Amino acid sequence: MRAWVWIVAIVATALIAAGPLVGDPVLIQYGINALLFATVAQSWNIIGGFAGYPSFGNSVFYGLGTYGTAIVMVQFHLPFDPWVTFGIGLAFGALLAVLCALLIGLPVLRLRGHYFAIATLGVSGAMQAIISNLDIAGANIGLILPLTRADNMFYELALALLVACVLTVAWISRSRFGMGLIAIREDEDAAASMGVNTTVYKTMALVLSAVFTAIAGGINAYWITFIEPAQAFDLTLNVRMVIMAMFGGPGTVFGPVIGAFVLSAVYELLASWISTAAALLFGVVIVLLIIFMPRGLADLFVGLRQQGPAYLMQNVRQHRL
Amino acid sequence: MSEAPPPLLDVRGLTKRFQGVVSVCDVSFTMTDGEILGLIGPNGAGKTTLVNMISGTLTPDEGEIAFQGVPIRRVPPFRRAHLGIGRTFQVMKPFLGLTALENVAVGALFGFEGGEHSMQAARDQAREWLSFVGLATRVDQTADSLSGPDRKRLELAKALALRPKLLLLDEAMAGLNTVEVDEVVGVIRQIRERGVTILIIEHIMKAVRSLADRVLVLHHGEQIAEGDTATVFDDPRVIEAYLGKRRT
Repeated sequence: MRAWVWIVAIVATALIAAGPLVGDPVLIQYGINALLFATVAQSWNIIGGFAGYPSFGNSVFYGLGTYGTAIVMVQFHLPFDPWVTFGIGLAFGALLAVLCALLIGLPVLRLRGHYFAIATLGVSGAMQAIISNLDIAGANIGLILPLTRADNMFYELALALLVACVLTVAWISRSRFGMGLIAIREDEDAAASMGVNTTVYKTMALVLSAVFTAIAGGINAYWITFIEPAQAFDLTLNVRMVIMAMFGGPGTVFGPVIGAFVLSAVYELLASWISTAAALLFGVVIVLLIIFMPRGLADLFVGLRQQGPAYLMQNVRQHRL
Repeated sequence: MSEAPPPLLDVRGLTKRFQGVVSVCDVSFTMTDGEILGLIGPNGAGKTTLVNMISGTLTPDEGEIAFQGVPIRRVPPFRRAHLGIGRTFQVMKPFLGLTALENVAVGALFGFEGGEHSMQAARDQAREWLSFVGLATRVDQTADSLSGPDRKRLELAKALALRPKLLLLDEAMAGLNTVEVDEVVGVIRQIRERGVTILIIEHIMKAVRSLADRVLVLHHGEQIAEGDTATVFDDPRVIEAYLGKRRT
């Protein structure tokens, strides 16, 4: 990747990190949300964008991260400072998500395309039902975490997580591991006959995806302090991460992050202008994006530079719309 | 007295059925180091099924396959690639979104004995293989922008980058014109000179005649003839399978 991209990324990170200096609590809250969205979209990118497996089970990892953190903080009564307990909770949530990824990954990753998507959808529903019946997880009622007022702290934590996630994806994109995932995405049979251990590679991708998604869920749990099953395992979160990653450019390093920032901003702006119709307009925005730039922002930049506005019409023709 | 080394490939009684249709029935043959075996037969004779079982894409219902004396029936495809079995696909499977260089680099990264671990070394090797098959000028083009004949060459380069000991070529020349066929025949000769053993499925008889040391003929999944090329091409059963019975 060209050096200027990284320079821009580092400057942008520094600017975002300085966000709390502005001192606007609304901005910080929007920031935490956007950063967490960017993290989960980027995590989805590992399994969905690089390996080409459209997972609808990532909201399960998010939910497990949420609950893992909450259970440690509320039920374990550890004799530590709440922030230390929070750290242990994040690790526990991530561990649960990794176990889940290994457990469901081995059977479910044998399925391809739509079948995989539907199977992961099923896992998501099942997990919500299981949590709703566990007393340690507060069953249907949910759990209340210790109250903290440290939005700036959550903001910087979310940013640190996003940076870690982006660096991981950057490593993947230039590593042998990443080449294996891309080969699987492009043609799994050919990849296997060329020596790629497809089972191990796909499972590794799902595990990596699960770790970052779960930690994002844990940060969110402590930040919002109240969690319940329907919201922790919310499928619309999964849909959003897919849309954000696809919009930005699946299989690219910065696409999903930019996609998440842009779409979060669009959504917030729409919500503040016309609150009720925001979701509807969001839908319209997405339809337009799919028609004119189906391969995401990353491809749009390249296409516009090479062909100008003709690029947009070419997409319309290519997909027979 | 020392024991003779096992043949490179030893296929015994291989059978594959698809819901009652016997696609390959009790096929046995061996391949020795450095030879080229032609696998011919009319459409639907089971040639590709046989190759799929050797490369591991399909599991045989009966029979055993040994590679360098080691049974590989239960070995998954990726590990067979590590052992040194490379293949091309009749229905080509290029990684469409990747450049020709990246396509071939995957082979170098994951092939024989687990492949090359450095990306740079893999790219260098890929570049060499691409110029070996005559695609030096197409290195940075994406696979989906390559023409049909170029994709055939790319398929060949991808398999070669694995550094296979046994190369399975499933109709590597289909759809090529006469000049291109001659070029690929030349490339295959050079591959053999590097010590690679080759199993070649081909409908272009001129190419089979000039390349193969021996020929195996399949018809309705059964092995109807095997032997050196000239003898097999004069075998009345082979002529019948291809052209039908002579009316007297």
